[in-house]
Amino acid sequence: MESLDALLKTAPTLVKGTSTLDELSEAEAELLGRRSLVAEFQRGIGRLPPEERPAVGKAIQEARRTLGKLIETQRRRLETETERLMLASDRVDVSLAALEYQEGYTHLITSTIEEVCDIFIGLGYRVVGGPEAESGLYNFDALNTPPTHPSRLESDTLYLDWGDPADDMLLRTHTSPMQARYMEEHDPPVYVVVPGKVYRADTPDATHSPVFHQIEGLAVDEGLTFSDLRGTLAYFAREFFGSERSIRMLPNFFPFTEPSAEMHASCFSCEGGGQCRVCGGVGWIELLGCGMVDPNVFEWVGYDPSKVSGFAFGMGVERIAQVRHGVSPLRHFFDNDLRVLSQFR
Amino acid sequence: MRVSLNWLADYIDLGTSDPEEIAQVLESLGHEVEETERLAPDFGRVVTARVLEVEAHPRADRIRVCRVTAGGEPQTVVCGAWNFEAGATVAWALPGATLSGGTEIGRRSIRGVESNGMICSETELGLGEDADGILVLDSEVPLGEDLAGFGSLTDTVLDLSITPNRPDVMSYVGVARELAAFYRVDYRVPEPVFAQVEARPRIGITIEDPTGCYRFVSREVSGCRVSASPFWMRTRLRASGQRPISNVVDITNYVLLELGQPIHAFDLEELGGEGIVVRRAHPGERLTTLDGVERDLTPADLVVADRHRASALAGTMGGGASEVTAKTTEVLIEAASWDPPTVLHMSKRHGLRTEASARFERGVDPALPPLAATRAAELVSTLAGGEALSEVTDVVAREDRLRPVTIDFELREAERILGPGFDAPRVTDLLSRLHLGTEGEDPVRVEVPTFRPDLTRPIDLVEELARLWGYNNFPERVPRGPGGGRSVSQRRTRTLRQALCGLGFSESVSLSFMRSSEIEIWGWEEEDERAREIRLKNPLREEESILRTTLLPGLLRVARYNYSHGLDELAVFELGRVFLDRPHRVLPKVPDQPERVGLLATGRLGGSGLGVERRPVDFYTVSAVWRAISHQLDLEGWRLEPVEAAGWHPARAARLLLDGEPVGIMGEVHPSVVRRAELIGRVIAMELDLDPLVADRRHWQFRAPSVFPPYTFDMAFEAPEDLAADDLLSATGEAAGDLLESARVFDEFRGEPLSRGRKSLAINYTLRAPDRTLSSEETAEALRSMADAARAAGAELRGEL
Ligand SMILES: [Zn+2]
Repeated sequence: MESLDALLKTAPTLVKGTSTLDELSEAEAELLGRRSLVAEFQRGIGRLPPEERPAVGKAIQEARRTLGKLIETQRRRLETETERLMLASDRVDVSLAALEYQEGYTHLITSTIEEVCDIFIGLGYRVVGGPEAESGLYNFDALNTPPTHPSRLESDTLYLDWGDPADDMLLRTHTSPMQARYMEEHDPPVYVVVPGKVYRADTPDATHSPVFHQIEGLAVDEGLTFSDLRGTLAYFAREFFGSERSIRMLPNFFPFTEPSAEMHASCFSCEGGGQCRVCGGVGWIELLGCGMVDPNVFEWVGYDPSKVSGFAFGMGVERIAQVRHGVSPLRHFFDNDLRVLSQFR
Repeated sequence: MRVSLNWLADYIDLGTSDPEEIAQVLESLGHEVEETERLAPDFGRVVTARVLEVEAHPRADRIRVCRVTAGGEPQTVVCGAWNFEAGATVAWALPGATLSGGTEIGRRSIRGVESNGMICSETELGLGEDADGILVLDSEVPLGEDLAGFGSLTDTVLDLSITPNRPDVMSYVGVARELAAFYRVDYRVPEPVFAQVEARPRIGITIEDPTGCYRFVSREVSGCRVSASPFWMRTRLRASGQRPISNVVDITNYVLLELGQPIHAFDLEELGGEGIVVRRAHPGERLTTLDGVERDLTPADLVVADRHRASALAGTMGGGASEVTAKTTEVLIEAASWDPPTVLHMSKRHGLRTEASARFERGVDPALPPLAATRAAELVSTLAGGEALSEVTDVVAREDRLRPVTIDFELREAERILGPGFDAPRVTDLLSRLHLGTEGEDPVRVEVPTFRPDLTRPIDLVEELARLWGYNNFPERVPRGPGGGRSVSQRRTRTLRQALCGLGFSESVSLSFMRSSEIEIWGWEEEDERAREIRLKNPLREEESILRTTLLPGLLRVARYNYSHGLDELAVFELGRVFLDRPHRVLPKVPDQPERVGLLATGRLGGSGLGVERRPVDFYTVSAVWRAISHQLDLEGWRLEPVEAAGWHPARAARLLLDGEPVGIMGEVHPSVVRRAELIGRVIAMELDLDPLVADRRHWQFRAPSVFPPYTFDMAFEAPEDLAADDLLSATGEAAGDLLESARVFDEFRGEPLSRGRKSLAINYTLRAPDRTLSSEETAEALRSMADAARAAGAELRGEL
């Protein structure tokens, strides 16, 4: 029995001294294997007087449990250590971009249109589209544009060699024809935004393109006044350019609105003055044209101008995107250079 | 319109001299200030002086020696100019003076004669380009004055952009009138006072075309001396953007700017015969205009003619033959009212846009000509020394144009558009400040003067009220619409776009045109709808002369652009309209212009990285893209069938059928197209009609995942080459019935031991029942019927069941 006690005293040193799982297995065999002291005691138990057997048996069980626990603890320790060493050799350079997913980028024109539409959807507007190859009837006549208006000249508008020449087929010069088309088909109230491509007889240069994009807005209802136009545009400016924005409106002239205005938002990049990239130091950024719908337009579509009133606005998509992100010159919107597209987000 | 504030002060006393404030007020009234330019002379120590004597230089022929005084002791100045004699008033740069550009003037000896400073030209003072001689000032100018301060050379010029509906503001008086309305002050109109001689005019006026000419006023001045106009006038014209020419011509420009009424001065002696006729041009008639261009006229042109020939293009430009020159002594001043559309079309047709036509095409007040002609006669007789005839010829062809318009204005019109607060006192106050006559309370009877042709309806007055009240003085209110947002197809289009971006495709936006060279690249047959393009009537460039019939040329252009910038791998898509030579399906009178989705990729596609082998694009890439899209868009009931189409690889392209209807083509672009586009490798593309893809669909239905184990197995079939994998999958799938969970081809091969024209397809199937574990009898039965179905489709099971 003394030797069993001695064994229990020396065993921890033996077990904890092992540094590999193999060494631990050897130690286990030595302590608990068939030739171990414990096994020898076990085998000798039959030779003991019967009254001693329970006590000795109990002591042997106790020793087995203690040794087993000791070995198990050491095994777990060695296994953890082995794994740690193995993982350590699997180290990566966390700064290395060893894998890149192929990303696709939404065009800035599209994401700008989507964002503006979302803002107006929040105000209860509907998004509608319309034809780009359009007749003079909708592009001009319906919008109170006199037959002699310079915008109808070939120097301003791209005409198509298609259909009956009397129909003046053309590429729409603004998204406004949809005002007339939509009101013809729908009764008031009307709250719509119309994003889309528009065309002008312009040769491409830093600030011109024969094709660009506009978003038209139209609200017609009972009791809409100039204040509703002002409030709506101020709301838009704050949503799109930041909550600090204020707006100013200056009188302007468009055939299809009366009163007509140009809307400016306070510059988001400066306090006015100096060499601001965005506003040129003016402190205001010209954003869009707008106004109260001219009664002649209402009459053309069959609305009663004494019963309803409304406002319309039209903004250049490239323009507002350019203002916000500095994309310049204009051709970067249409060259589709991947080095540019991949900047869009 | 460039407005000199010095000159403007002739017509209004503003409470402020701050240009910034004036600019802001004008802008708030709708007159955009494009630029505020501060003019300040950059010379110093230059004074007004008189030349007392001029003598030849003893040792040089081309320069002279002058005795000059600025009021004090005369001094010697050597001068190389010959455009003056003793008695002239000049600008004398004293020793120590600085000229424009920084040149310093000292006392120096010129060929042995000491020169005390110099006599300056306009160019040397930075005032103009006139380098013919020195600047000769008016004789009344006091001597010894500092020219910089004295000559009104320190000025601020506002460059106004006047909207086309406001011709009345395109003059100094007009600008003053606007400011007067804002500041509630008076403005002044010139009241000509000058000596006149009693005599009958030599030239009679006949208006043959009352459509084109409303009124024609002429005045004659005889015995004029054409020379340079006085310095103050030249300074004002220059500040206003006009180049001084001669006194008579400068006066016409001066009155134009002052009153807004274009004036034309004829050399009366050059007007053959006694009468002027306003008429349409004869066919084949020609006129050489002041700019030296000989123009072919048509009967759409309106001309001012003498008995024999046209002398001027009405309201646009005068003719060279009757031009006022240095020899002119007899002057006929014309001030007329022309029909705006006639002038607009004439100026466009001849590519001639002048200060006069810019005003006439918008509408000049027909009440102005008498005052303008008289003002011009006053200036000519006082500045060019002529005698003005007292009798004015004033022919009015259109009396109706001279009558003011009246508008009955109901106050509720103002309230309806502008909101509350526009009651009778406010409305009357605002309108009368705008120089409109008002009478009564509600409705207010408003009399519109002839200088405001833009005001014809109550709504026009509403705008005037808002403008003067101040657009920025209205409160803000945000109305809410009834909703609606995006339609189903708009939402599904967004899903499609996001799916394509997720697959690594970037969105491109191209102009909607294609070039004829691009059509040739694709080799479309003539009857192909893609070759039957719509052309522009008035294209500016070849690149933008044909509307695209397909998105593919634009996408190929994008690939080419990027390739030429060193990028040989790309994946792009575009959503946009194409234009087809057939009527629109819904809208009358416009061409069909369906929306399409197109995509194109070159090189390799997918994630990249160290040791990652990326798959080069080929047909299977584009069909995989389609399957991913179809899943995102919840599209079922589609199939791909091989197609041979111009521009596509004959054996690697497929037509997409959705519910049996063709929707478009996808596949590899024909190698010859790739070569002609100067690209390399395989190029994949797809072009589909958008409408059927994004139309509202029946929604997918949930299937509860089975908790029972699957039965997964492989089957290999030997099949003839023309048996489509899809057909084999659907035949065997149908045989498996509801038990089929998935089926996927995992191997395809040709060659030994198969004979030619045969292929092997290995398919991995998973069978599973929702409510039970499949028994071996059930699976064996399913396999048997799948093998039978394959056989019926033409494929033999390889090996045993
Ligand atoms: Zn700024």
